[in-house]
Amino acid sequence: MSALLSANDLRVRYPVRGGFVNVVHGVSLNIKRGETTAIVGESGSGKTTLAMALCGLAPVYGGEVRFEGDLLHRDRKNRLNPDRRRVALMFQDPVGSLNPRMTVRKALAEPFRIHKVESVEPDREALSLLDKVGLGAEFADRYPHQLSGGQARRVGVARALALRPHLLIADEPTAGLDVSIQGEVLNLLSQLQQEMGLGILVITHNLNIVRHVADQMAIMYLGRFIEQGDSGQIFTQPRHPYTAALLAANPSPDPDAQASRIELKGDVPGLLQRPPGCEFHTRCPGVREKCRKSFPEASTDGESRQYHCFYPLGD
Amino acid sequence: MTPPVLDIQGLSIAYATDRGPLKALRDVNLSVDEGRIIGIVGESGCGKSTLISAIIRLLAPNAQIVQGAVNFKGRDLLGLSSEQMRALRGDEISMVFQDPMTSLNPTLTIGRQMADVQHRSTTSRPEKNSRSVGMLERVGIPDPEAQLKRYPHHLSGGMRQRVAIAMALMAEPSLLIADEPTTALDATLEVQIIQRLKDLQRELGCSILFISHHLGVIAELCDEVVVMYAGEVVESGSLRAVFKGPKHPYTRKLLECDPARITGRTRELPVIEGSLPNLVNLPDGCIFRDRCSKAEARCGIEPPIMHGEGHRAACHLLEERQESSP
Repeated sequence: MSALLSANDLRVRYPVRGGFVNVVHGVSLNIKRGETTAIVGESGSGKTTLAMALCGLAPVYGGEVRFEGDLLHRDRKNRLNPDRRRVALMFQDPVGSLNPRMTVRKALAEPFRIHKVESVEPDREALSLLDKVGLGAEFADRYPHQLSGGQARRVGVARALALRPHLLIADEPTAGLDVSIQGEVLNLLSQLQQEMGLGILVITHNLNIVRHVADQMAIMYLGRFIEQGDSGQIFTQPRHPYTAALLAANPSPDPDAQASRIELKGDVPGLLQRPPGCEFHTRCPGVREKCRKSFPEASTDGESRQYHCFYPLGD
Repeated sequence: MTPPVLDIQGLSIAYATDRGPLKALRDVNLSVDEGRIIGIVGESGCGKSTLISAIIRLLAPNAQIVQGAVNFKGRDLLGLSSEQMRALRGDEISMVFQDPMTSLNPTLTIGRQMADVQHRSTTSRPEKNSRSVGMLERVGIPDPEAQLKRYPHHLSGGMRQRVAIAMALMAEPSLLIADEPTTALDATLEVQIIQRLKDLQRELGCSILFISHHLGVIAELCDEVVVMYAGEVVESGSLRAVFKGPKHPYTRKLLECDPARITGRTRELPVIEGSLPNLVNLPDGCIFRDRCSKAEARCGIEPPIMHGEGHRAACHLLEERQESSP
């Protein structure tokens, strides 16, 4: 299938006193139509910044991004300018991303007004969107504070999908939701994906949901993808020790499950003090001399799998 | 046997609202034995936060204690004066909150804050500092002496939460209440913190009341678990008994919904149909009836009571099973 969005060596940096902080440090990815790609990583790894950069909300200083084959140009402030009708974004906080002074109806009709879509009647379209995400017409006149977290999330989904985008970027779509509602939102997204052939980029640190929703995944550490590829393969056989540690750090609800932990030492280093060599070497349980000195270039396993490690697991 | 450290009996709490009293907790019974880690599991709106605020007596002004008692080492906390209560907080009962950034003062150094929590001790500042260093070391903070001079914003999220835990344990409390202490942290840090808590609990011998909606974390840490739904305790027992053989339909559903439990990949994740009941106009009968697939006529008439020894659950369908099997 053709790539919906492809990024090549994308970089985002911010000026700080005495230099720059590289938040996204050379990231390449392909998102296909009808597929879900997940980006996983700990706080501060650059996941959200990457998403912001892709939809033109963060300045980019290097690399190129193509959307449906067209190269995206940068504006005066170095931001990419994808067609916002084709790329939709869902933010982390479902209630906070809705205007508290707008009813659900108004919030849902807003995209049509902003983009001057004249072929539809916005108010009527708002109701049909509500229906699509499983909310009744009675929700149309409610304000955000009258919605539960799950309902607000559904409104967020409806709003993101209003203009029938081709790509949806969802930043932590289930953060703060209870497990029973989390399933509802994810099921809704995958149902809409099938109906609309939507490409989805999910950003999350919840590995349990990645396993169920993602076709492709990338693991981010200090602004780089240290491993990426088919998510089924990565779950069954991680190659990078950080991926393995992340997978093992997922506490199991089964009291009998023997925790086979891979203990990581210390904390994630700051972006301003990137370790030399392999950037994971300060925490890696299998660190060797070479790792401290040189940066491991990408190795590949088959077509779809890439990782940065001199001594990958399973070798 | 020594009496439980914390023993909550028949606690009911309502909030005054425009629409009438919102019955946030109804007849909650819970006990925490010495040296045990008890987990409270439940989704938003189940009353977890109301329950802990009641224990430490920091309820919202519109909350009213309808009935019940909160016995802590033989004293009813609900009857104490606010001075007596203040003497207890941070000394015998400590708390760790969800967000370490908001529980630390951003304008004071770690050292100052850690000395401040020792305000009841008459020792000198250097002695207090050396105790602080010792505690920071125990929670696994590297180079603790240097940390005393730093401010919260210098530390990463995981470090801040460890500082918060160190501060909570400073007074060697009999009961530590931890409200979703790892929710704001990432997976690898989460397991680090849980492991620390486990080790410290063993060393200090305190009891822990641990609140979380993350079933994996509960399974990892707790000895016993209490499941709450819409303001009621619906099931309680040893962790193994509840997680391996859940009795209440809600617990069963909740465990089924956890994507971590589903080993095969699925696009259709299980959900609990329906929504929480209205706590202002409570439905008759069982609180979970509307969302239960096995509900019978009886479930809509009388509320079920807790059944069983040790592993208990409140469901009419269990009574039947027990009656039919001698």
